[in-house]
Amino acid sequence: MSALLDHLPELWQGLIVTLQLTAASFAGAAVLGLVITAMRVSPVGVLRGIGTVYVETFQNLPLLVLLVLAVFGLPEIGLQADLLVTAVIVIAVYEAAYIAEALRSGVNAVSAGQGEAARALGLTFGQSLRHVVLPQALRTVIQPIGNVFIALTMNTSLAAAVGVVDLTAAANRVNLVEAQPIPIFVGAGLAYALIAACAGFVTGRLERRLAVAR
Amino acid sequence: MVSMKRLAAVAAVSMLGLTACGGTDAGNSAVPGGGQAVPGEAKTNDVVASAPVAAAADILPGSTMEKIKQRGELIVGGSLDAPLLSQQNPVTGEVEGFDADMGKALAKYIIGEPKVKIVNSASETREALLSNGTVDVVFQTYTITPERAEQVSFAGPYYSSGLTLAVKKGTTGITRPEDLNGKTVIAGANTPAIPAIKKLAPQAKIVTFGSDPECMQALKQDRGVAYVQDETLLVANAKKDPTVQVVGTPFTADPYGIGLKHGDEQFKKFVNDWLKKMQDQGVWQKAWKNSIGTVVQGEAPTPPQIGSVPGS
Repeated sequence: MSALLDHLPELWQGLIVTLQLTAASFAGAAVLGLVITAMRVSPVGVLRGIGTVYVETFQNLPLLVLLVLAVFGLPEIGLQADLLVTAVIVIAVYEAAYIAEALRSGVNAVSAGQGEAARALGLTFGQSLRHVVLPQALRTVIQPIGNVFIALTMNTSLAAAVGVVDLTAAANRVNLVEAQPIPIFVGAGLAYALIAACAGFVTGRLERRLAVAR
Repeated sequence: MVSMKRLAAVAAVSMLGLTACGGTDAGNSAVPGGGQAVPGEAKTNDVVASAPVAAAADILPGSTMEKIKQRGELIVGGSLDAPLLSQQNPVTGEVEGFDADMGKALAKYIIGEPKVKIVNSASETREALLSNGTVDVVFQTYTITPERAEQVSFAGPYYSSGLTLAVKKGTTGITRPEDLNGKTVIAGANTPAIPAIKKLAPQAKIVTFGSDPECMQALKQDRGVAYVQDETLLVANAKKDPTVQVVGTPFTADPYGIGLKHGDEQFKKFVNDWLKKMQDQGVWQKAWKNSIGTVVQGEAPTPPQIGSVPGS
């Protein structure tokens, strides 16, 4: 237990990096995911195709492979960025595929009549998506998006393998000195669990408040 | 029954690996704590062939060694990706290197045959694997430290190594760890290099990667000016890759111990006796020649004195 308490500053620093990774990559994934969803439900065939290929590609690749490729492969073709920035971009690009799938299920849950009504009123595709379909779709998928957020939080720990000193890497470093894996990793695990629990709590509240009654 | 127990232990450790350290190392944690059977009947090399076998009287009734002998297999916590120390040959499936040979020799000493199963352990799971009995011993460049000695018992030291620096060929101004202050330095995740750099070059920024090949790649891509690692490994790397050079001489002394379950004094004495025989009969020296000696010039060094460091 003292092994954990003696190193709280290092672990705290790691937790901050984990939170930064989580927040930044979730924001990126949300924006990108929204764009992909819009492409997948758009009337333009090419865009639909691109959206499908994107989702299928990133859902079928392990995140660790992408991280290692981006960190060690991209510099070979002259693209080298800060490790944290690289990790945020890769996690955002990867998780966007999952966000897009969650959002698409929400769009499918909006009854076809809503879209037809919007068209009948003379709204363009963009307008009907923005004002009619997406607001309803988003309210349907609060819980699934929350689950993606939790998975994303856990996935940020993979960044430790490519040099980002997040909570996992910090716990590893502390354990290297103290050699007490059980208290240290239980402590780190509880911190992850706490983030997940907070996300669960927030999405639960939002869901009760915003869910569309059908 | 025994196999059920072992399965449960492996499952428990796998869970620990999955929940706690979700992938810290591309190579190691692919199978956290997962067992990799090494064919026991594979050809024995000359190190193992000349290794001693314990007298029947040394296998005390009720002891750990008797348990291992009855099982007919020594379960070793080790690596499969450490060149010269413990690396699995992709062609033969055989695990080769100094640590690997020492493990086989110990198995032969107890069982009479070099029957070893290597559980690919990561540095963050070694203590847990020993304390819950998943492995009998750990041969994995396991540096003896007083903190670790509170969690596990160490036989040995059986080898003494040290950290040194590698830089890209042509780099100037870096010859000692003190030269690293204010610069970014690459180190292997979970290696003693991290505390050593913190101590000798407190102003250095440390960036860590999971495996040795990744660290080498990062050095070549200028993610740091130097790579701090065990001399043996760096010399082997520099041999393979002429764009990288080793500078200076080792600036730490890392005594490697044989990790055993904490408090098993009987087994510790037994392993120390075996190590003494290995050294006296020249088998230790032969194991060094066959592995580390293929890249480090000269005769085998004098093995460190057993019990000579705090924690052993």
